[in-house]
Amino acid sequence: MSVIDLSALKGGLKELPPLSLYIHFPWCVKKCPYCDFNSHEFKPVPGAIAIQAADNVGRSRVGDGFDEMAYVEALLRDFEYSLPAIWGRPITTIFMGGGTPSLFSPEAMDALLAGLRARARIHPDAEITMEANPGTFESERFKGYRAAGINRLSIGIQSFDPLQLKALGRIHDGDEARRAVEIALTHFDNVNLDLMYALPNQTLAEALADIDTAIAFGVTHISAYHLTIEPNTLFAVQLPANLPDDDISADMQEAIEARLEGAGYVHYETSAFGKPGRFARHNVNYWQFGDYVGIGAGAHGKISSHEGVVREMRYKQPAAYLQAVADGNPLQSSHKVGRKELPFEFMMNTLRLTGGFETRLFSERTGLPVSCIQSQLRQAQAEGLIEQDLTHLRPTLKGQRFLNDLLTLFLHDEGEN
Amino acid sequence: MKNIRNFSIIAHIDHGKSTLADRFIQYCGGLDMREMSAQVLDSMDIEKERGITIKAQTAALTYKARDGQVYNLNLIDTPGHVDFSYEVSRSLSACEGALLVVDASQGVEAQTVANCYTAIELGVEVVPVLNKIDLPAADPDRIAQEIEDIIGIEAVDAVRASAKSGIGIEDILETVVSKIPPPEGNPDGPLKALIIDSWFDNYVGVVMLVRVIDGQLKPKDKIKFMATQAEHLCEQVGVFTPKSVQRPSLNAGEVGFVIAGIKELKSAKVGDTITLVNKPADAPLPGFKEVQSQVFAGLYPVESHDYESLRDALEKLQLNDASLKYEPEVSQALGFGFRCGFLGLLHLEIVQERLEREFDMDLITTAPTVIYEVVMKDGTISEVSNPSKMPEAGKYEELREPIITATILVPQDYVGSVMTLCNQKRGVQRNMQYMGRQVMLTYDLPMNEVVMDFFDKLKSTSRGYASLDYEFKEFQASDLVKLDVLVNSEKVDALSLIVHRATSVYRGRELVSKMRELIPRQMFDIAVQAAIGGHIISRETVKALRKNVLAKCYGGDITRKKKLLEKQKAGKKRMKQVGNVEIPQEAFLAILQVGDK
Repeated sequence: MSVIDLSALKGGLKELPPLSLYIHFPWCVKKCPYCDFNSHEFKPVPGAIAIQAADNVGRSRVGDGFDEMAYVEALLRDFEYSLPAIWGRPITTIFMGGGTPSLFSPEAMDALLAGLRARARIHPDAEITMEANPGTFESERFKGYRAAGINRLSIGIQSFDPLQLKALGRIHDGDEARRAVEIALTHFDNVNLDLMYALPNQTLAEALADIDTAIAFGVTHISAYHLTIEPNTLFAVQLPANLPDDDISADMQEAIEARLEGAGYVHYETSAFGKPGRFARHNVNYWQFGDYVGIGAGAHGKISSHEGVVREMRYKQPAAYLQAVADGNPLQSSHKVGRKELPFEFMMNTLRLTGGFETRLFSERTGLPVSCIQSQLRQAQAEGLIEQDLTHLRPTLKGQRFLNDLLTLFLHDEGEN
Repeated sequence: MKNIRNFSIIAHIDHGKSTLADRFIQYCGGLDMREMSAQVLDSMDIEKERGITIKAQTAALTYKARDGQVYNLNLIDTPGHVDFSYEVSRSLSACEGALLVVDASQGVEAQTVANCYTAIELGVEVVPVLNKIDLPAADPDRIAQEIEDIIGIEAVDAVRASAKSGIGIEDILETVVSKIPPPEGNPDGPLKALIIDSWFDNYVGVVMLVRVIDGQLKPKDKIKFMATQAEHLCEQVGVFTPKSVQRPSLNAGEVGFVIAGIKELKSAKVGDTITLVNKPADAPLPGFKEVQSQVFAGLYPVESHDYESLRDALEKLQLNDASLKYEPEVSQALGFGFRCGFLGLLHLEIVQERLEREFDMDLITTAPTVIYEVVMKDGTISEVSNPSKMPEAGKYEELREPIITATILVPQDYVGSVMTLCNQKRGVQRNMQYMGRQVMLTYDLPMNEVVMDFFDKLKSTSRGYASLDYEFKEFQASDLVKLDVLVNSEKVDALSLIVHRATSVYRGRELVSKMRELIPRQMFDIAVQAAIGGHIISRETVKALRKNVLAKCYGGDITRKKKLLEKQKAGKKRMKQVGNVEIPQEAFLAILQVGDK
């Protein structure tokens, strides 16, 4: 009698990808006109900053919008509901995004991280990033965040130009932006700056000036985004005047890429540039089609098991989310990604990486043989959008520039087989 | 027979014909309120939306007049557009009278004049009605004078009415009874029935609307169509009230429907005469014509695998529209499709819209063209309805294009600009007549200029006041050339045009510049060129797009970005891939957006 092979689990994944944790903080001081993320302005009552210090039970409250400890408790409960699906898997990165997580006090962050460590295995080297916005910076707070265990900051600078910041509806000016970076660098050695280009009335020189300022700070990571007018934003309703045209913004992109690469930043994803060894590990896990649990209002998660890939979403409105957690089911929706959608979803992430992916990753992460996308790959190659060797598949420069055209090749049409 | 009145309504679009018809039906109790959906006589969706009647319909009404007698009034609806003038003439010849309904503020329009003249030529009594008298801008006295000036009929005593508000409805019906003569005819003679209209019904097959001139028609009669010689067994006769009601027979003077188990519309042609096999009439009624297509266009599915569905859709449309002609055609650029013949531009638009709306087809339509006569070196004449099939210059002796005689009625203020437009379109003025406030211009115009954008230009140059009627005159030799369009050096046959040499260079230049605007930037440069006889006369470049990428793709939530890409993909699918270039539907009609010098 031969040995029965127990490893051959039919039609599923044989290996599970690295696991990350995303935590959403849905409040901002003010909603920006270009932002389509799940963020809500809290209405500050007079003297809100004073209240922010601490009330008599040691809980920090910000305005009348939310009770931060209540939210932290909800996050931990929410996380507990996810534990069975990720049991035993170490969490390699944590990302606290928003909204503006830096509206939460260091104490709240400390309580949150302590609570997470008590409930799951957090990798000792885990990258733990928090997003922060200038205008919410005080040196003491950031010292506190660092002490709580946060080891990477991502700052939403957008621009150092006061006129641009005003047009973008940011609450900070150029000086505050610079001060925020200085404070961040006092306490953190791993800092990302988010910058936007192709802003209203912006010239090529102005776009590069922002990049140069960021480089001069010596931060480890810079994200340079082309301003995109998203539906359901104020900008979509009132289109800003004098946006640079396609050709000028393409010139900006090329100049920015050259400038950053010259300064030692590797262009590793569409809009991301990092010093070697300092790529955003959390984001890279997304882009390599890794797993992540998403907790908090409106957070999205993707979790693989031997049965396939499931995507889930929490309730979006903070109040509805808090109620749903209290009721014992924070999920608004959850669906298994079908076999026909998996190749597209995989490509949509991995082809954002300028280095593409190791070909074996496709079947490892989707459970499908790479042969199922052979005809699309052939077409993409014929159009000069990708290149392949024995082990890797990567977008060409043309493929990077025309990523949308490349990705639509993998979109499954309804009605097609 | 003396208590029968057969009449139709002549009116310009929007002058209130359908509303008036509805009022008659309501007044005479043809339908109760619940059954009255607005404008019952116009039953197709498109007709309702555009306010025009495409198929003739009818209503048999019972009216008790002030003289105490009961009359049978047969209202025969007529199509109200220049494309359907033959159908109008057939409807009118089934009547003894016609109500000329004129908007009391807008006055007489060319279309109305043309139909009125047709009615008068056919010996139909024309009775004027001034409608919309309750509008603030109404000026009934002036309009009555205008009717007398332009049409030359007495209009001082014209009934003043408002169909919308229900004013004057009974007065109109009284006038119908008193002014319109009863039908004449021999009830005992051999059967002669005129087909006013015919359409296909899924359950009973072809339904014919007929006017019996002489004799009697009953179920079980063996009938014969005098033009096609086809024989059928009459199954059912009846009238529309407008609901269909069966009757034991249709007699001389009456209007009603006939069902005879006919499967194909082409065997029941509008204008044909029905008689009995056993007791045939010796001659058919006069005026029958085979319908001729005036305007042609290629219809191609965006997705080549939809070719069969397009064929099915055209087949189904033809069941109800015998004037639609189509034959398969192959384009190098567009693949398999159909060259279709239409009565006119409106007909083309209606067919295109029905294919898209009712049959859910994604179509590429080529620019409308007319039929040309090509006289070959050996003297033989062939007809060409597709510009790309035009023989090379030098292979033929001469090219002849169709000329129409256009009648344009326009207020004096706009005469100058309308004349300029006609001259730009190579028109030759034949007549100019002042009629009160309006001027009637008669021009001979090349039809290929008219099918492009003449009607739109006429409307815009006269701020909507000018109206147009036209009829085919003759084929005339002309100095025409074929203009080709090349996309990335490849000739796109579906974009070829026949133009007059004098305007060819200008048109070619404007066309490629328009195409450059309409073709979206793609991953590579696209050269668009115009050529005449292999000689490039103009070139424009659609510059390559520099990038097409989503700056930020928040890894957590991919759904919205996925939707965005799905939208991009759907947008591409509505374009036709020619070589490696994606060309949007509207670019195939770019010539229609090219202005005149």
